[in-house]
Amino acid sequence: MWSFYTFILLIFGFVSVLDAKSSSGNSVLVILDPARQPDYSIFFNGLKEKGYDLTFRAPKDEAPVLIEDDIPSFAHVILFAPDSKHFGKDVTPQALVQLLSSQTNLLIALGQKQNLVTSLAPEFSLILPPPGSSLVSYFPERKEPPTVVPIDVPSSSKILSSSSSPVWFSGVPFALGNNPLVFPILSAPAEGFAADSEGSTADALFDAADKGGEGLWAGSQLAVAAGFQALGGARATWVGGVELFSDEFAKKEISKGVKSGNQQAAADLAAWTFQESLVLRIDSTTHHLVGTSVPKEHYTTNDVVEYVAQISRFNPSKDKWEPYSGLDDLQLEFTMLDPHIRTALPPVPGSPGKYAVTFRVPDRHGVFKFVVDYKRKGWTHLQSSTTVPVVPPRHDGYPRFLSAAWPYYAGAISTSLGFFLFSAIYLAGDPREGNLRGLRAKSTKAQ
Amino acid sequence: MSSSNSSPSAQSTSPQSPILSLWKAYTQNTSDRLKFIDTFLVFLMASGVIQFLYCVLVTNFPFNAFLAGFASTVGQFVLTASLRSQVNPENRSEFKEVSPERAFADFAIGSIVLHFFVFNFLG
Repeated sequence: MWSFYTFILLIFGFVSVLDAKSSSGNSVLVILDPARQPDYSIFFNGLKEKGYDLTFRAPKDEAPVLIEDDIPSFAHVILFAPDSKHFGKDVTPQALVQLLSSQTNLLIALGQKQNLVTSLAPEFSLILPPPGSSLVSYFPERKEPPTVVPIDVPSSSKILSSSSSPVWFSGVPFALGNNPLVFPILSAPAEGFAADSEGSTADALFDAADKGGEGLWAGSQLAVAAGFQALGGARATWVGGVELFSDEFAKKEISKGVKSGNQQAAADLAAWTFQESLVLRIDSTTHHLVGTSVPKEHYTTNDVVEYVAQISRFNPSKDKWEPYSGLDDLQLEFTMLDPHIRTALPPVPGSPGKYAVTFRVPDRHGVFKFVVDYKRKGWTHLQSSTTVPVVPPRHDGYPRFLSAAWPYYAGAISTSLGFFLFSAIYLAGDPREGNLRGLRAKSTKAQ
Repeated sequence: MSSSNSSPSAQSTSPQSPILSLWKAYTQNTSDRLKFIDTFLVFLMASGVIQFLYCVLVTNFPFNAFLAGFASTVGQFVLTASLRSQVNPENRSEFKEVSPERAFADFAIGSIVLHFFVFNFLG
């Protein structure tokens, strides 16, 4: 009996370890042609193992709906229907944008055909090549067709595991506009270019570029996977080709005996999109005079103030928020229209998740704000604003006597002392002159 | 001869003679009490000049302290000068009804009131 309970406990413990969850929910809607569902079994099984509830829906189905009574039905939406021309009537670009602004994460695959996905892409500042083109690279030399390209995972990537081997990719590369919220996750190889997939050569590409006047779609400035961090915190990931997630590419070898990095990259992309990785939040912020611990209603000019922020990072393997001290480029601004003070907000050694800075309030009164505005590509945006009035000193808050005025004080005091001394000697009378009466007598004599 | 002797000596002192004779007349003809008042007046004037120079050359901040310090010297100077003219035996005809005691009492009360305002304004 005892061993049975231990067994049950062990099972639960094991399940809870496996049951890694997103910080924003576990329900996922996958819009995908049912016939192609088995092609992505490794990716979807990986998600299920992590604890996600996957709901599948064919592109033309009407149910389950994305948004019901203005409330999104799912925490995450995967749109793997790059070749579908028609969608259910609730799947519209407007609906997808509304999902994003109501905290639903999107994982979207692009295709070569024009459909609602390609018309939505420019809204995210993705610039797609002409329809029908795909990424072509003749390097490195390999037996695969030139449209199936191995791409190295950048070693500096925070989102993708940098240790994984190159990733097979087949699909559309795209350029990124100057929207600051969009950033490349995986760039196209430097030797790659976008061209009509049917046996085009580099010469044909240059001709097309000259004729079309659109310039050359080539090089590592193009991206094949891009992330978009919405202001509300939701995330959207755009991938140029849905084959990146397929079982075929996951099993395909990069070279003899070396598995491709597709399985890991697909899982990493999903983990970032579903807000498992690189998720931060500000737990609390507080401010107080140095030497005290209670926040003041208002501060006086030139007060020395300490500002403290407590920051947590989501740990998906424990499904818990944990204090995080790893941010070394956090900044605090003390603003009244403009930042009057902009200073580093460094982590406090020894206390996890605590960031603190001490500074002198400027010699300027008005309504100020403590502003933390941390926007880094990939990380959740951190924003915090605390309004606090700064007042001039009270009438009795100024120093009473100033060293610069000592000549004046000395002048006034010496005048008073001189007056008393003068009066005393005057009243005592000059011994040689006699007293007042003598003076009067003399004056009468003079008359 | 004696007159011819005295005239060169008068000529030799003649460039300084107005100031010297003024000084001589002052030291000889002024009573010690009036000289004492004059000493106090000179001190007040020096103090006022020093404060004014400090204000012009260094700083007039805090201005209220300058006003208080400077006004105390000026006010005291005015009061003391009034006292001097009232107790001067030569002005006896001008101030017939003001005795020297009365003059000093006026001076003392005026000074005390002045210093009351000065110290209120100083800090």
